[in-house]
Amino acid sequence: MAESLEEALRSGKFLVTASIDAPKGTDLEDSLRLIDKLKGVVDALGVSDNPCAVMHMSPWAVCRLALEKGVEPIMHMTCRDRNRLALQSDLLAAASLGIKNILCVSGDHVKFGDHADAKPVHDIDSVHLLTAAKALAEGKDMAGKSLNGCPAFFLGATANTDADPLEPHLIKVDKKITAGASFLVTHPVFNIQHLKKFMEHVPRSKTKVLAGIRLLVPQDVPKYKDGGYPGLFVPDYTLEEIKGATMAQCVEMAGGLFRDIKSANLCDGVHVSAPGHEQMMLDLL
Amino acid sequence: MIVAKRKPFSEIKESVSGSKNILILGCGTCVAVCLAGGEKEVGILASQLKMALALEDLRANIDELTIERQCDREFIQEINNKVNVDDYDLILSTACGAGVQLVSDVFDHKVVLPALNTTFIGVAEGPGVWTERCRSCSDCILAETGGICPVTICAKGLLNGPCGGARHGKCEIDPERDCAWTLIYNRLNKIGRLDRMQRILPPKKYSADQYPARIVHEAYRRRYE
Repeated sequence: MAESLEEALRSGKFLVTASIDAPKGTDLEDSLRLIDKLKGVVDALGVSDNPCAVMHMSPWAVCRLALEKGVEPIMHMTCRDRNRLALQSDLLAAASLGIKNILCVSGDHVKFGDHADAKPVHDIDSVHLLTAAKALAEGKDMAGKSLNGCPAFFLGATANTDADPLEPHLIKVDKKITAGASFLVTHPVFNIQHLKKFMEHVPRSKTKVLAGIRLLVPQDVPKYKDGGYPGLFVPDYTLEEIKGATMAQCVEMAGGLFRDIKSANLCDGVHVSAPGHEQMMLDLL
Repeated sequence: MIVAKRKPFSEIKESVSGSKNILILGCGTCVAVCLAGGEKEVGILASQLKMALALEDLRANIDELTIERQCDREFIQEINNKVNVDDYDLILSTACGAGVQLVSDVFDHKVVLPALNTTFIGVAEGPGVWTERCRSCSDCILAETGGICPVTICAKGLLNGPCGGARHGKCEIDPERDCAWTLIYNRLNKIGRLDRMQRILPPKKYSADQYPARIVHEAYRRRYE
């Protein structure tokens, strides 16, 4: 059985985590292959929740698959697609399937996804979701009603080290920690100085930080330009470098950042993502 | 005020097709201010319809009338002093959705159609520009947010700070649009109330926002309840 994310983060070792998308459809073969390949390589595997507002299978199904394969899952959960009843129901369902690690996020706006006419729900925000999950673990739902059987959660939230302006974002990060975030996963980092500055703010004794690493490839350059991808601020010089790079060079660039963050002991681990190129994550790691 | 914009002309024309006697009914309040449904706009729409019908060799009598407010029965009753609504087979209202419905209630034997799409509660930013400022949620939190409404201005209606997508102080969905939480942070900082932003605002009470809403003033309670 895999070591839990909570235990792994408490051990003080530098963690390697990654995230994948659930399939768009019912075919789980690719997910299975990825889970098998990443087993033993990553300490935990995140599964996104309708990433970038593009409809996919619910992440709990893939998280359960990971658990069955002996890989510790982190279930991403967005407030964009469900109201407080549905979010709590899904939290309980996830817990019943053995999923403990929940990454609570607000969610990218529906405008960026493949259902642009959908109603963005946002009944509650990520701070509320953390509060609600913590309350469920303590036996109460958001209405204060008692539960018959309590879930056990290890809760996380996201942060953007490149947030601009940073100050209001840091206030929100503080609220997430207060609300129950035991770990933070940052949006992909492209400027290590920004990560350093962010880490000066975070109380590491209270909250662990996994720095986001994104594998960028030349064909993705247009979509990352001028803030075209929500929450991802790729500097122009990085995009220029990527534009003419081979796949091996792209992997090397992301790998270089990973090694720099690790060797400087800037945070508690990394969270690698490579949407559409997940197979390359192994080379990167 | 309520801000609306006129429906596409093709949709309006299609909706009135076949009618021989049309009353275009303007509203002299909000929609007149936002240049969508006042006396002037009624005149423009009437001319446009007449020309379009003439081009197709179709004939219809189109009259114009603008009243002070279509969201008040008292003003709607005044229509009877000016025209006989039974002379018309269709009333095309250039009021907001509330006005259209009340006119439809009062003249419930007539076909009453909307010529506008009601869009938001907002303010005039300058000549010809209006922006949304209130979603009428019945649970106002402006006291906590420096007088700037995140429910309305933030594209996700977030209550506890910005999402991770704000860039150069602009919203992730539109680089021309200010990030509500950057505005709130700056305002609270300016008025010495930044501590307000550090408080966790609880989830909104959507029970207060049940619709259709109804308010009876305290002084009139005995009359209506």
